[in-house]
Amino acid sequence: MTMTSPAPVDVSTDAAISVRGLWKIFGEKASDIIDSPDARLPRPELLEKTGCVAAVRDASFDVANGEVFVVMGLSGSGKSTLVRCLTRLIEPTAGEVFFEGEDILTASKSRLRELRRTKFSMVFQHFGLLPHRRVIDNIAYSLEVNGVKKETRHERAMEVIDLVGLDGYANHFPEQLSGGMQQRVGLARALAVNPDVMFLDEPFSALDPLIRRDMQNEVKRLHQDLNKTMVFITHDLSEAMKLGDRIAIMRDGDIVQMATPADLVMHPVDDYVADFTNDIPKSHVLTTGYIARPALEGEEVSGAPVDADAIVRDVIPQIVASNGAVGVQRGTEVLGVIGKNDILHLVAEDASEGSAT
Amino acid sequence: MSTLESLPAWMRKRSTLVFAVLGVWIVLGTVFSGIHTLELSTATNTPVTDWFRELAASIRGSRAESPLFVYFFNPLRGAIEGFIELIRALIAVPASGNIIPVIGWLGVVALVGYIVYASSNWRTSLLSMGLLTACGMLGVWTYTMDTLAMTIGAVLLSLAIALPIGIWAGLNDRVMAFIRPVLDLAQILPTLVYLAPLALVFLIGIAAATIATMIYSIPICVRITAHAIRSLKAGPIEAAESMGSTRGQMLRKVQLPMARRTIILGINQTTLAALSFVVIAALIGAPGLGKPVIEALTIRNVGDGVVAGLAVVFLAVMLDRATTAAVQHSGQLPPEGAALVRRRIGLVIGAIATVIAIYLSRFQLWAAVFPEELVIGEYIANAADAVTEWITSTFYFLTIGLNENFTIHVLNRIEGLLANTPWYITIIAISLLAAIIGGRFVAILSAVLLGAIVLIGLWNDAMVTLTQVLIATAIVMLIGVIMGVLAGRSARIERALKPILDAGQTLPAFVYLVPVLALFGPSRFAAIVCGVFYATPVVVRVVADGVRGVPSDMVEAAVSSGSSTTQVVTKVQLPASKRSLLLGANQGMIFVLAVVVIGGFVGAGGLGYLVIVGQSKPELQGKGLAAGLAIVLLGVVMDRIAQAGARRNEKKPA
Repeated sequence: MTMTSPAPVDVSTDAAISVRGLWKIFGEKASDIIDSPDARLPRPELLEKTGCVAAVRDASFDVANGEVFVVMGLSGSGKSTLVRCLTRLIEPTAGEVFFEGEDILTASKSRLRELRRTKFSMVFQHFGLLPHRRVIDNIAYSLEVNGVKKETRHERAMEVIDLVGLDGYANHFPEQLSGGMQQRVGLARALAVNPDVMFLDEPFSALDPLIRRDMQNEVKRLHQDLNKTMVFITHDLSEAMKLGDRIAIMRDGDIVQMATPADLVMHPVDDYVADFTNDIPKSHVLTTGYIARPALEGEEVSGAPVDADAIVRDVIPQIVASNGAVGVQRGTEVLGVIGKNDILHLVAEDASEGSAT
Repeated sequence: MSTLESLPAWMRKRSTLVFAVLGVWIVLGTVFSGIHTLELSTATNTPVTDWFRELAASIRGSRAESPLFVYFFNPLRGAIEGFIELIRALIAVPASGNIIPVIGWLGVVALVGYIVYASSNWRTSLLSMGLLTACGMLGVWTYTMDTLAMTIGAVLLSLAIALPIGIWAGLNDRVMAFIRPVLDLAQILPTLVYLAPLALVFLIGIAAATIATMIYSIPICVRITAHAIRSLKAGPIEAAESMGSTRGQMLRKVQLPMARRTIILGINQTTLAALSFVVIAALIGAPGLGKPVIEALTIRNVGDGVVAGLAVVFLAVMLDRATTAAVQHSGQLPPEGAALVRRRIGLVIGAIATVIAIYLSRFQLWAAVFPEELVIGEYIANAADAVTEWITSTFYFLTIGLNENFTIHVLNRIEGLLANTPWYITIIAISLLAAIIGGRFVAILSAVLLGAIVLIGLWNDAMVTLTQVLIATAIVMLIGVIMGVLAGRSARIERALKPILDAGQTLPAFVYLVPVLALFGPSRFAAIVCGVFYATPVVVRVVADGVRGVPSDMVEAAVSSGSSTTQVVTKVQLPASKRSLLLGANQGMIFVLAVVVIGGFVGAGGLGYLVIVGQSKPELQGKGLAAGLAIVLLGVVMDRIAQAGARRNEKKPA
């Protein structure tokens, strides 16, 4: 089971967060289980034998600075527990979590509070807003508990209110807002302290599909503007594909695969992952660089070249409209070309897979 | 269960077993009727009651010497008395040398009105002022103020103790586990039994009455406060933790503000509990409306009893409405814009008016002492007497007739079975029933506790009380289930019943005695009727909640498969809300017990009468204390059997 976990690497210096051998087992005497062979038992057998539930098993990964790292899994896969272990909202059973070279799991209570007040912030599925406080005081809460003066913290709160499109709602109470607006407050609250890392735990799962799409775009925009490191939890693969630089797929507490969206689609590590990714049209996740091939002998290359990081779907019209194949470039380097036939193949594959499921 | 499994299948069915035990009991009870009944005349003491009397005497003797009294009980008594007297001097009784209290009636009315306005709205404020004035018009202003002062004082002291404990128990599982048994016991203790022991330690008077009231109301407040903290949504708390709150910040900025509404609801319940207890505590010297009620009950003066009882009702409604409105107010968003300006202006004008009223009430006689010409209490008393006279003479068959028929055909028969059968047969029968309903442990507990009552020497009286409790509970359940099902199924009926249910839960049990005594005369039947009146609202509410809580798709499925209304009720809604029914039965029984023992005032006999007699006759004081203990033992037996039965029923489907 664990062969799919990436081999442990040294804590890289440009990683915002490095996780090594993180375990969370719920139940009595959980720490005794970790070093015993029982830890490797499948979940139901472990539960029967010890009465304990292994929510997260031996997770190791790095989140690079400025990266959006998505953890995806079905309910019960341990993804929400994993993200809570990173800031010790749930106390992990074993492992290490490094942030700027400091092991968070050994930090004192007051150091942990300091980190939570200034370096980390979190967005919750059910918003977790304080019902008795106005929007502005919800957003300023972290600053308030950190002893920031009222005037200063309100000034900062107004800035982020502006940033997430909540103008005019500062003095409303949460219950006066729609779900989407409430989650904007949740986002603003997480941004207020200008954190180094944001943790988002299924932030849009409780919202209607249309609003969810808006909010996904909002997060994308905020990420482009502010370049925050994000750990994003979701059970929705298309959301993961849309937002994630890299995606870790969890199942029964294990990370079964960790890869870029394109790699997940092209090289699923097992049937479980393949089952998910089959539904995703390849043209929606693959970049042009990914499918570029060398030009054939005598092949006509015409029109403006496309960027290697562009999603195929977005450049289909341009390729179809051009007379010959289209060049693919990263910067000034030419990676290859894409022709109309390549597009046809890809779309045909998507169509047949879509009908098969 | 293991004992049952060895029996053949038809005998394992519980209802069959219950009927079998009852059948044998009735046969044996008829054959051996009248022997070994342990009947004892009221004036006779037993070795145990003698021991209690001597204990009481030694406690009285040690008041001046024992360090426990000199350094703890006596100073505590002084402090509490001083605190209450302070509030009384403010609104109720003139301090020495004065002819009026610090604030006269007009000032009190204005001040209460202002406080209610500030904590809720002007409608409730007007209602409160009207009700207070009505108490004055009944001619019992000073009594009313005494009751109000006692209630306020006891509530303040209770909150000072209960809120911190409740918050602590809400935050800490171990504290909760520690105090839960105390809270559970407090819920089943009938009010009447606190009085005598406290009077013994703290002397008859304000201090004992206040402490008794606190003992009654503190557990209620602790329970609701702890629940308020425990039932908070986890989301905002986790979010606040993720933002680096300290525990103190979490409590101050998140948990308490979020729990505020429920905590205020707890204050509402605490206040009503305190009021109802303050009235009964007149038995051990609490000043106030309880005094005229007791006097009226003792000399069967219906008119005066009605007047004092009405004042209690007015005060209860006022305190309930005011605190309920405060609960609603605390759940609303603060006003903004024009509404905020209006509210501020209202507060300022109200404050000025209140100050003027208080000033007038200090220097103008008409504003200080409630004007005689406004008092109509005497007319009301006379009218109540006349109406009672008319009802009892015109509807003789409904009042006295019902009483006599019920007593002969139901009450006496069941009492005969419980009290006239040899005591050992009754104990064995009850223990067997306990075994069938609740299992072996409860059976042993019942046998031991009932045996203890025999040892105390109050067996026969206990069975008289038990008879009344069982009959009243059966009637309560019958009415409660019918009305509860109706209310649970129809929002309209629920709305129609709500004021009655509210009133039923607001009014102190004591005031039911007055009209019931007027209609049915002093009798065991009167006590049963009181118990029914007092306990029915609770059962209706619990059953209605249970029926309403049955998932609607379950009901829809039953309707769509062609069930008639009766079938939906009997085959779906009642079975699915079985837990509520059992809970209702348990609650109903405990409520009935509390009132039936107070029925000692209206000729119900039994243990309650012994407690009351013990208060007034020194030679029977020991017997009164012992009777209080026997009431507690009886309550524990009934509660344990019902609870164990309910628990078993929960486990069965799994």
